Amino acid sequence: MVTIELYGVARLRAGREVIEVDARSLGDALVALGAACPALERVIVAGGRLAPGWLVALNGAQITADLATPLGEGDVVVLVSADAGG
Amino acid sequence: MGRGGYFERYLRVDLGRPSAEHVPLDETTRRAVVGGVGLGALLLTRETPPGFDPLGPEAALVLAFGPLVGTPLTTSAKLAFVAKSPLTGRISDGLSSSSFAIAGKRAGLDAIVLVGEAAEPSIVLVDEEGAEVVPCPELWGRDFTISEASERLGKAYPEHRFAVIGVAGERLVRYAGIANEGRHAGRGGLGAVLGAKRVKAIGVRGSRPVPLADAEATLGIAKDLARRSLGPATEKYRALGTVANLSTFNRLAALPTRNFQASTFEEARKIEGEALHETRAQGRGSCKSCTIGCEHFFEVRPGQRPVKMEYENLFALGPLCGIGDPEVVLRASSACDELGIDTISAGGTIAFAMECAERGLFPAGPLAEEARDLRFGAGERMLVLLEDIARRRTPLGRLLAEGSRRAAEIVGGEAPSFAPHVKGMEIPGYEPRALQTMALGFAVGTRGADHNRSGAYEADFSGKVNRFEASEESAAHAVAAEDRAAVMDALILCKFLRRAMEDFFGESAEMLRAVTGLPFEAEELVRVGGRITLVRRLFNEREGWTPAEDTLPARFFEEKLPGGAAKGAGIDREGFARSIKAYHARRGLDERGFVPAEVARDMASLIRGKNR
Repeated sequence: MVTIELYGVARLRAGREVIEVDARSLGDALVALGAACPALERVIVAGGRLAPGWLVALNGAQITADLATPLGEGDVVVLVSADAGG
Repeated sequence: MGRGGYFERYLRVDLGRPSAEHVPLDETTRRAVVGGVGLGALLLTRETPPGFDPLGPEAALVLAFGPLVGTPLTTSAKLAFVAKSPLTGRISDGLSSSSFAIAGKRAGLDAIVLVGEAAEPSIVLVDEEGAEVVPCPELWGRDFTISEASERLGKAYPEHRFAVIGVAGERLVRYAGIANEGRHAGRGGLGAVLGAKRVKAIGVRGSRPVPLADAEATLGIAKDLARRSLGPATEKYRALGTVANLSTFNRLAALPTRNFQASTFEEARKIEGEALHETRAQGRGSCKSCTIGCEHFFEVRPGQRPVKMEYENLFALGPLCGIGDPEVVLRASSACDELGIDTISAGGTIAFAMECAERGLFPAGPLAEEARDLRFGAGERMLVLLEDIARRRTPLGRLLAEGSRRAAEIVGGEAPSFAPHVKGMEIPGYEPRALQTMALGFAVGTRGADHNRSGAYEADFSGKVNRFEASEESAAHAVAAEDRAAVMDALILCKFLRRAMEDFFGESAEMLRAVTGLPFEAEELVRVGGRITLVRRLFNEREGWTPAEDTLPARFFEEKLPGGAAKGAGIDREGFARSIKAYHARRGLDERGFVPAEVARDMASLIRGKNR
């Protein structure tokens, strides 16, 4: 299983902090996320892709939007708003 | 009179004589720097002699408006306060949004320049005719909060809008800010510049409509931009505000904690934006003429006035000082706002002092005695210390009122290696080792460590660079981020609009054409951004800048991050030096970072101007 952590607007919209999905790539994980949390569709994930301004940090480290990024058992996908200013 | 956007003049007020005169502003200047921070940097250079004391009578404080203020464009009610910083000795500019900006512009002015010193504590009242310097013994030295002083001024002069300093500005705290209608030009000690001039407040009154070259086109652009400002690109600001950053930064190990000794905070859950929103939300507000509404207010205690909170206040007065009690952080933020001190520098300087105290570095005597109970996490002690700093009323308060760089030099020993500043200005809430393109942006910033003049963190958060390594590619991102910020701050528009604009330079040029009637193009605005940075650098060079200033404190090169997703991250000194050289090359500077002589010669007539 892969864990998806939600912060900020994503957490507010989904009404939860963590979602576990069965996924082998980032693209798979986003499809599963959209299905599990319809409130994120279009605004944060859009048809299995990240909406503009959203990225993920794989295990909290490197940041990517590459849907082909492979995921394995125990990986954590941290959903991040790229809009960090303030 | 031009076709739009400008009144083609500024008001120079000599506080010592006192006198005021309107000075023409030619089209070459307007095209070259547009307005806002660009115009402010240029006028500051023109109106001051080399090597002046930022707290002396030769110092100038510039209030520069942009061509868009007073138009229907969302978030345009802004102005830039520009001066030589008493904290850094280099240029500093603070932006602020309120009806003060609109009223100042509508006094028929593109800028106001204050020079000299008032003979006694005074306020300056500006209108379409000129300016008056009015003694204000009833306001000075009375220990009024910013709110109290503003309320009294509002009652006495109901037609004016005011920018005010607090007790910290009067006491020349080197990171005192200037407040107007709840907004603050916080960074770099501009409030101390005003305090040194014995000016408690500036009042502006005006009713001249800002001319629009093409009113119909301007209105069309304004409607479209307002619509987009309410879309998903700004949802974060509307839903949670900037406090949303804290939990994300903590997860990414980019949250400065305990004076940058760590980048994750074990009590983050108690103060994160999501938690504040769930348990303490008290509504939101917006700056004048803004459709976004990013201001979020939170309850301190039932029945008390809610407090506005931003990420930078939250990080600086929370994790940076090891404090996880939301009530303490809210009270501290409110105290800074009412005393008139910059929250980032206040938090940074206190965090530095906490580390000094824990390490036993304060010299035996009054400082060590006063610091004996100063520890990370000591929230109530921090609240007292904020008052001591703002009033300079104790030995430790007086020391810390000087900022972390000067305090470290006085404490001595190893203290300078962990004083959290660049060029004397305390570092905002972005851990440099976890965001190394931002680290480069901090190091080369003309006003010191700065998240508003360099948005280089966007590269770190984009996936386009390795956020744990500054590279030559980082330099390209740092330059691009600076250029875009410079143009936004020249127009002036809020940076929270940036993701709502698909083609920033193209759309900005379109706005300028509609408002001013001048044939601005996107490519020209990119050059304007670079030019503004060079004007700032030339000012800094004139005031003694050396290449050694473009760096970070030793801690970031010598200590690795201890935990979280960035565990083990550090900055490689040689690699960082290479990225700085790459920045210099891309910025068109010489290898050491100076503006090349031929470029300076080409800019000489612009820098000098026609009026002095």
